[in-house]
Amino acid sequence: MAQHTLERFDANTNTAVLSLDAGVYPIDAVYGAAYALIDRAFVLLDKEANPSGKGSRFLVQLRGKRTLDQAAVEALSGEFGNELLSQALRRKVVKQNNKIIEEIVTQAIAGATGASLPQDFVDDDDDDLDFLDDPLGIAVPWEEKFKTDTKKGA
Amino acid sequence: MATQHTIQLHRSMYMAQAVRDAIRVFEDFANFAMVSDEHHYTVTIQDVDPEVDGDLAGEFCNFALAHTIERKRRTPK
Repeated sequence: MAQHTLERFDANTNTAVLSLDAGVYPIDAVYGAAYALIDRAFVLLDKEANPSGKGSRFLVQLRGKRTLDQAAVEALSGEFGNELLSQALRRKVVKQNNKIIEEIVTQAIAGATGASLPQDFVDDDDDDLDFLDDPLGIAVPWEEKFKTDTKKGA
Repeated sequence: MATQHTIQLHRSMYMAQAVRDAIRVFEDFANFAMVSDEHHYTVTIQDVDPEVDGDLAGEFCNFALAHTIERKRRTPK
C-alpha cells in the first residue's frame, strides 16, 4: 500500500486531497512539508480514522493559489511527497546525531563565555613563554643562521 | 447573496491560540465565529469585505497553519 496517495482532485475548486498514513509520517514532517508549499498553495490539514479501521491518517488539502490543471496539481502533490520524505529523513538524522550536536553547541557556548574548556583543549606546555621568545630560532634570518656553514663549505 | 465559508481545523493539528491570532488579523475584512467540538475548531467566515482581492479563507487557513508550526517550533518538547 502506498504511504501517501492522491485521494481526489477537483478541477473546479483547483483542489487536491492527499492522504498519508499517520503511522508512517510524524506530524512534524507533515508540518515541514506543508510549510514549504505555503507560498504556492492554500494548505488545510485534517486527521481522521483510517477507512481500514486501523490507526489514523492525515488528509492534506492543497488548493493552488493560481489556477492549475490536473498535471500541475499532481506535480504539486509529488513535490509535497518529496518534501515529506526529506523532512522525515532530516528529523531522523537530527535524532541520531542529537548527542553530538548538543556537545558541539555546549563547547561553543562554553568557549564564547570564557568558561573553562575541557582538558584536551588546554595547552599547558609553554606557560613561561612570551610571544617574543623564539626557542626554535624561527625568527633568525636565513643568512645569519647559515653564514658560518656557507664559509666552511666554500 | 452573501457567501459563507466554514472551515474545520483539527484540534490535534492546529493550536487554538494560532487560530485566534488568525481571526484577530483577518477580522477587519470579514465576520468570524469560532466554535470547538471534540475534534475540530469550526470557523465560520461571513460578510467578506467586497474590496478584498483574493482568497480570504485560504489565506486564513495558511496563517493559522503557519502560526501553529511556528509556535510548536518555539515550544520546547
